[in-house]
Amino acid sequence: MTMTVLPIWLVDVLGATAMIVLSGLCIYHVRALTRRAPKNVIWTYLLWVSYCLCGFAISRSAGHILKEMLLISGRDETWQAIRPYSGSVNTFLLFLVASITLFFERIWQIYHQISGDQEALTRAHAQVLELNETLEKRVAERTRALARSEKQIAQADKLASIGQLSSGIAHEINNPLGIILGYTQLLSRGEKTGSQKYEDLKIIEKNVKACKAIVEDLLNFARSPKPRQEKVDINFLIDDVLTFIQRRLRQNAMTIVKEYDPAAPAMILDGEKIRQVLINLLMNAQHATDNKGTVIIKTSYDPPARLMRIRIKDNGYGIERANLSRIFDPFFTTKSTGEGTGLGLAVSYGIIKSHGGQIDVSSEPGVGTEFTITLPVNPETPLLTEKTESGK
Amino acid sequence: MGPALVILLFVATPAGATQTHGDPEGLVVHQISHIFFMFSMGLLIYWIKTRRLSVTPGWRYIQYAAFLFIIWTLDAFFAHQIDEFHELIRVTRTGPWQIHIETNSPATAVVYYLTKMDHLWCVPALLFMYLGLRRLNREAREKNHQPPPQRIES
Repeated sequence: MTMTVLPIWLVDVLGATAMIVLSGLCIYHVRALTRRAPKNVIWTYLLWVSYCLCGFAISRSAGHILKEMLLISGRDETWQAIRPYSGSVNTFLLFLVASITLFFERIWQIYHQISGDQEALTRAHAQVLELNETLEKRVAERTRALARSEKQIAQADKLASIGQLSSGIAHEINNPLGIILGYTQLLSRGEKTGSQKYEDLKIIEKNVKACKAIVEDLLNFARSPKPRQEKVDINFLIDDVLTFIQRRLRQNAMTIVKEYDPAAPAMILDGEKIRQVLINLLMNAQHATDNKGTVIIKTSYDPPARLMRIRIKDNGYGIERANLSRIFDPFFTTKSTGEGTGLGLAVSYGIIKSHGGQIDVSSEPGVGTEFTITLPVNPETPLLTEKTESGK
Repeated sequence: MGPALVILLFVATPAGATQTHGDPEGLVVHQISHIFFMFSMGLLIYWIKTRRLSVTPGWRYIQYAAFLFIIWTLDAFFAHQIDEFHELIRVTRTGPWQIHIETNSPATAVVYYLTKMDHLWCVPALLFMYLGLRRLNREAREKNHQPPPQRIES
């Protein structure tokens, strides 16, 4: 079969030229890449692949073009003489391209290792810079926190000592009070109702009962009785307390703002005791705002720390700075005589401590006061028992 | 001693210590280079795929290039093999622009004719290689033009 070689010739010559041009363009782009990132081993690898491809393209194409030219011009012998050398160079360069290509995997691993190290180094550098930048700020913060915790420890120690003393005194007083009450009630039975002696005995009985209530509060502060462990929805409990307070204060002009955390989980605590604490704090807020201010009640759950925070904030007249460290002391009150015993906050402190929690206060005179109760959510250990003394 | 050594040197027969490299060896080496090239391109395709590089257009084009190089090298391999089978095919140049192909069947002649145009595979392969590298270059340029991440001044 006789055939024309023109199509083969055209494809060969044009293809060979295209190969030289394209391989040159490949080198151009990879060189641009290596200029942009000279330390990137992947670009270096691609540059070597491109160099070898270009060498192969030039060698092969030059050979093909030369072959076509020589055969057309009838110089077959010249081509036969050149052919082994052209073929050998082609073979060598084909081996070279294939060999370099095989380094891809290793180069890629090196590139990843270098990139990872570089990223880690950059991160570490940024962290060091940030630490350096914020070091003074952090030291100041830690110093403040230390001073705060020292203050809290001192306060807790003081309250623990007062608690011990109070519980001793309360026990000593409780027994004679019981005897006085018993005898008073015994004597009043023998008296005619409405007689002067009967009325006098009733006054004694009433006052002894008042004394017993104070002693009871003192014991509550010093030695909390064993708290009950029940499942309580804290938002629901606060609502319950608010209903109670609003019913009690019939002419209530106080504005209550509720900001409850809907994600607040059920908690294991003594509902009655926490109710007592909330009543104490809300009554104080009502007193501080003269029953016409605004009280914000906020609950927030901190899932990572498993802590529930209850904030009660009023815009009342606030607490003097000098009094702030004493407000949890038993019998400390700024109210007029007869308005308060000064045991409400002391008892609240004892209850929160017995739940493994914390009660903090911040106040600015003329602006308002904020109490923050922090309680653990479903503590792993049972609630503190009656043997636990407040502040410890 | 000296004359004896000279005599020994002159009467020695070829020991065959150095291997000769005759005619078919060039073809064998060249064919091995094609097989090796095919193998390395196959591995490159596999690595690009397993490293999930083919999701980016630049590397995908390089993967296409490797695939077309495999087809080209197969074409070239068979063209070289057919050239050597003189019993199957015999080609003679009858003029500057004409060749005469002697075969048992015209189909073999057509296949031989087509395999000779191997540039139809290796030029697109190199074109994809070029497109891939151009794309990688453009991506790197665009990345460099992005605002640098904010750094904390010391």
